[in-house]
Amino acid sequence: MHEPPYRIELKPYGRALLEVARQREAVVCLTGDLTRQCEIDLFQDAIPERFIHCGMAEANMMGIAGALARSGHKPFVHTFGVFATRRPFDQIANAIAYPNLPVRIIGFMPGVSSPGGPSHQAIDDVALMRALPNMTVIDVADATEVAQIPAAIIDVPGPVYVRLKRGEIPVIFDSDHQLSLTTAKVIRQGSDVAIFASGMMLATAVAAAKALDQVGVSVAIVHVPVLKPLDSTTLLQVAGAARAVVTAENHSIIGGLGSAVAELLAEAGLGRRLRRVGLQDTFAEGAQTSAYLFEKYGLSTQALIDSTWEALNRPGDSPRAPVTPTEIGEYAPV
Amino acid sequence: MWLSQFLWGDIVTAGPVLAPGAASDLATRIRLRAVNMVAAHGFGYLGQALSSAEQVAALFATIRPGHDRLVCSPAHYVIGVFAAAGELGLIDEADLAAFGSNGALLEAIGTERSPVVDYTCGSLGQGLSAAIGFALSDRMRARDARVYVMVSDGELEEGQVWEAALFAGHHRLDRLTVLIDANNSQVDGPVDSITTLEPIAAKWEAFGWQVQDVDGHDLASVHEALGLAAAEMTRPSVVIARTSTVHGLNCMPADADGHFIKIGPELAAAAVAELTNRLAAADA
Repeated sequence: MHEPPYRIELKPYGRALLEVARQREAVVCLTGDLTRQCEIDLFQDAIPERFIHCGMAEANMMGIAGALARSGHKPFVHTFGVFATRRPFDQIANAIAYPNLPVRIIGFMPGVSSPGGPSHQAIDDVALMRALPNMTVIDVADATEVAQIPAAIIDVPGPVYVRLKRGEIPVIFDSDHQLSLTTAKVIRQGSDVAIFASGMMLATAVAAAKALDQVGVSVAIVHVPVLKPLDSTTLLQVAGAARAVVTAENHSIIGGLGSAVAELLAEAGLGRRLRRVGLQDTFAEGAQTSAYLFEKYGLSTQALIDSTWEALNRPGDSPRAPVTPTEIGEYAPV
Repeated sequence: MWLSQFLWGDIVTAGPVLAPGAASDLATRIRLRAVNMVAAHGFGYLGQALSSAEQVAALFATIRPGHDRLVCSPAHYVIGVFAAAGELGLIDEADLAAFGSNGALLEAIGTERSPVVDYTCGSLGQGLSAAIGFALSDRMRARDARVYVMVSDGELEEGQVWEAALFAGHHRLDRLTVLIDANNSQVDGPVDSITTLEPIAAKWEAFGWQVQDVDGHDLASVHEALGLAAAEMTRPSVVIARTSTVHGLNCMPADADGHFIKIGPELAAAAVAELTNRLAAADA
């Protein structure tokens, strides 16, 4: 793994989708009027005959995608996460998930990575998609994984929902890192606390572990890019070796990673104190920067450290989060 | 076993399975079979079969199995399609007899398991979008095929229908034909007492569609309209079929619930007698 500040990449998804589409005639690309924002201007320019502009009409777009999949195509559907899940939920349920069709729904701008306010912040997309039978739900951490998404999901038999950060994508993993849809990635083992992180919160977990390390807390980190189906084997094994579990997600604590882990631990009878870092059953707000929102809504490295400290019942002040100065073209978690 | 990949033999026919002359009889037989299908339970979606019988008959006299596709957008209408398929020997009698029962293949509101139709959905207003997906697929693959979509007038209250109508108009999906059952009936009462849809024809025209407005119980008119729709080479087409949910059954009370009807043994017997007599008279 690289060390922060991480260098950033632009359009890793758009490039990867184009590469896969060139090899696979079945790939068709649908957009809901957010083409450049979803990196598929590359596809539109290169393969216009398989690019379908659906306009601002997500319900219709999902219905079209379902029938295309039924006809043997592999539709990749693109818009922001909010519009990809909340608005056409019934269409996804009836026209895609219930018939178990290979539609790939790509929702950009997860959680408070958008400062655009509650209408643009997908804080419940994982919860909504997890609730649908047949749906695979993915929240990857960095550009190395993003670039592997199209090839990794194209042959999943049923529907897939992927939430992707928009814009500047950090490179956290080495180039030989392999994204797995079946096995969660143990980043480090530890005996005091197990931090389970998804998506953008992996970088936060790594930074928090560094600070906790220095005061003698033994931290395990597991990166959980696939929220459904959950790799229960790995998570139970790592949780079992620790005294407490903390989940970290750029999403509501209801219905996402935190809920999934709570269900898993309870059903396994594995009694561990659990803290869920994420949006605490609240909508966020519009702001100038997403960093402000990560701070305000408890998604910062410090918030994760504090939750861990509290879960372990440690006396005294929690350690301070490391400060990583960044320049243009670099990324570090808040 | 869906219409596009059917079944009546491995034969991909160049034309429809049903000669237009035989279709008139079929409309009455659809009504009779539908009465029996709901009478077994004492209630069901009979009004939909009564208003759409001629449309279903005309579709079976138009659609080319193995080429064309049939979308039944309002899944409550699937009873009429099942009844027609039963009359044409496309569905097992045992399955038809179990229609709507626990564990039956043929559910009263169509689902993914429903045979004959290529797509149907009980959450209304979604069928036209699926039909567009089929039509786009055919266009991308240069398949010579048409997509026929049964839509109900009540469904036009759903915004998704108009999203889809805009899309199909913009993309000039000329291989797409919508058949609207304008029976002025929805759950809470007459459609026009709840939401004004008129002028329906002008709305579709404004969206870039070829429009025909016909008497939905005049089989020849519906069949001819489908033919004219197929000849349209630049725009999607819509046929508005004006109908009634009690048509073809004089014994039905005029105020019968068009959406979901209760039919006791007496009324069922009267309906069966009326329709049986009509078929016998036609045969004579």
